[in-house]
Amino acid sequence: MKRRSVTTAVPLIGALLMVWVLALVPVAAAGTKLPKVTYTVPSTPNSMTVQSWSGDSVLVYYTRGSSPVDPERCELYINGTRVPVSPAPQAASIGGGNQIQFPIAASYSVPKGDDTFRVVLVTQAGERVDYSWKYKFGGAASTAPSLVNFTVMRQWGGYIAKGGVATVYLTVVSIAIAVVFALLGALGRLAGRMGLREAWDKYHSWGYVGLHTLRLIPYWIATFYTSLFRGTPLLLQIFVIYYAVPAIILWGRARWGIFNSVPFPSAIVSGIAALSLNYGAYLTEVFRAGIQAVPKGQTEAAWALGLSGSQTQRRIILPQAFKIVIPAVGNDFIALIKDTSLLSTIAVDELLHRATLVGGRTFNFLSALLVAAAVYWALTIFFSFWQARLERRMERDRARA
Amino acid sequence: MTVHEPSPVVNESSSPQQVSSHQSEPLVKVEGLHKWFGKLHVLQGLDFEVRRGEVVVLLGPSGSGKSTLLRCINFLEEPQKGRVTVGGVTVECGRWGRAYQRAVHAVRLQCGMVFQEFNLFPHKSVTENIIEAPMLVKGMSKEEATKRARELLEKVGLSDRADYFPSQISGGQKQRVAIARAMAMDPQLMLFDEPTSALDPELIGEVLKVMKDLANAGMTMIVVTHEMGFARDVADRCIFMDGGVFVEEDTPEHLFFHPREERTKQFLRHILPKAEDSVERHPGGGGAPLEFDS
Repeated sequence: MKRRSVTTAVPLIGALLMVWVLALVPVAAAGTKLPKVTYTVPSTPNSMTVQSWSGDSVLVYYTRGSSPVDPERCELYINGTRVPVSPAPQAASIGGGNQIQFPIAASYSVPKGDDTFRVVLVTQAGERVDYSWKYKFGGAASTAPSLVNFTVMRQWGGYIAKGGVATVYLTVVSIAIAVVFALLGALGRLAGRMGLREAWDKYHSWGYVGLHTLRLIPYWIATFYTSLFRGTPLLLQIFVIYYAVPAIILWGRARWGIFNSVPFPSAIVSGIAALSLNYGAYLTEVFRAGIQAVPKGQTEAAWALGLSGSQTQRRIILPQAFKIVIPAVGNDFIALIKDTSLLSTIAVDELLHRATLVGGRTFNFLSALLVAAAVYWALTIFFSFWQARLERRMERDRARA
Repeated sequence: MTVHEPSPVVNESSSPQQVSSHQSEPLVKVEGLHKWFGKLHVLQGLDFEVRRGEVVVLLGPSGSGKSTLLRCINFLEEPQKGRVTVGGVTVECGRWGRAYQRAVHAVRLQCGMVFQEFNLFPHKSVTENIIEAPMLVKGMSKEEATKRARELLEKVGLSDRADYFPSQISGGQKQRVAIARAMAMDPQLMLFDEPTSALDPELIGEVLKVMKDLANAGMTMIVVTHEMGFARDVADRCIFMDGGVFVEEDTPEHLFFHPREERTKQFLRHILPKAEDSVERHPGGGGAPLEFDS
């Protein structure tokens, strides 16, 4: 009973995290006509090191109204004075959010101080939205800055959380390909159960040893594969596939005139390739161990009954090995969810990449990263729960009376 | 050549000469069998024959090669030299390739095997264990195979355990299922590799009873066992092995009570501490202390 309560609490936490993440997704309220400013940089209160406003930029994030904002007509005021903006205010959009950048002209060389900012957003329909905030320069802030900015979370949470879809997609596709690699790898590794010495002992025949040497080729390939991909960092593998493979293709085109129709791998393709190759190497060992953990007597019983080698594998060994490897494969699956974040380094548009993007835009990494962390955590809890369920179900099948 | 009536059970008075004079066609014929494990010469050129319906018990200390010999007959161990014939299929040992594999498979189809550790498939129910091979190997339909499985379970007294999983039944029941599973392939020959050694003493009887029924029904059996009572009651012939060779071969009565070889006497002293006394007390070979039935 105690065990049961623990296992039910885990998905509950996951569900709560999910609800919180979903609450961050901005819901387009019907009838909202005017744009609404959600966040500004420089924020309030803050401390910047640049001494003059000249050349600095003011960023204003907002949610869209029914009429789009016309950046050229927007106005920026500091301490009540209209600030010259050069070049003209620019609109940008990342994810679902909108942003206007006001590059302060070099002619405005007023030093930074405790300033009051005011922006006027003008829509194409001519509506004007007024928003002002206070900015505290240097020294002790008048009020302690909040570490976590819920405004940022509210505005960007949905955008970041939707990166979780890409994360799950990358994980599922990579593990599926990795399992194929791993099955082949495990069969290769198991082909080497009998070494050359045992092959000699079996028949005392050089002919048989020669034949067995050929049979050992898959074993050597599989051993090389697992050794290489378990022996180098995953991040390096990602970089090699993303950055070095195009170089190899170019070299091949220039040197040999080959690879002419081979495209450069995209970030997503490179990422999936690297993840599945790396996890395939780990799962190879998991599968090999799982198959070897099935007692030898099972094979013998099947052979004694007249089952062929492949029938024995498919009907007797693999079903038992499958049960043995579920915990390890689940473990790797959950590790893979988190390792997809490494693909943010090659700009795959996934969870962590979005979080760092938003962090950089809003100068509030903590808020953005917290959202990403919550999504990762929720995902892992969710999948561990399914893993536990699967294990329990297999146990129950076995104990069925 | 004199043709004798093939009798499955050798009667009490049969002498060694009579045993070897049975000339009916042998079901199993092993010629010059050699097996090495690395440098260890486990079977050193064995020759023997088993007639149809005969029950042969292999005896010997551990490491004597009796289990290896048994496993060489259905090629769970591959001998390096020699020739094995089972039911008309001959396998030349020390070969490999397709023809060899096919011959080995044909031999395996004629042999049922029962292991010391049962080796039931834990992910399959009792019935599924029994119908697996007939369906996969013989292409039997599920209904047909299940019907046969029910008959076999009836015979081994486990009709009520058909839907249990191996983890839910006792050792003796497991071994009886294993026997039923082997019988489902309708083998010509049954190989028993210490079928009762892993069982609690009170579970041994139920397995031996099934084996006796099988022998009485005329099944040809080669049994590796230390159950002297079973050997005495059921075996036509006992073979004492040591160091990879046959030391002595005789009827159970003669082998147990009038062993000729010193090595056999030595072994029997260990396995039957009172055997010598009982010979003294029962000169006719009564063997009261040999009764295993408890």
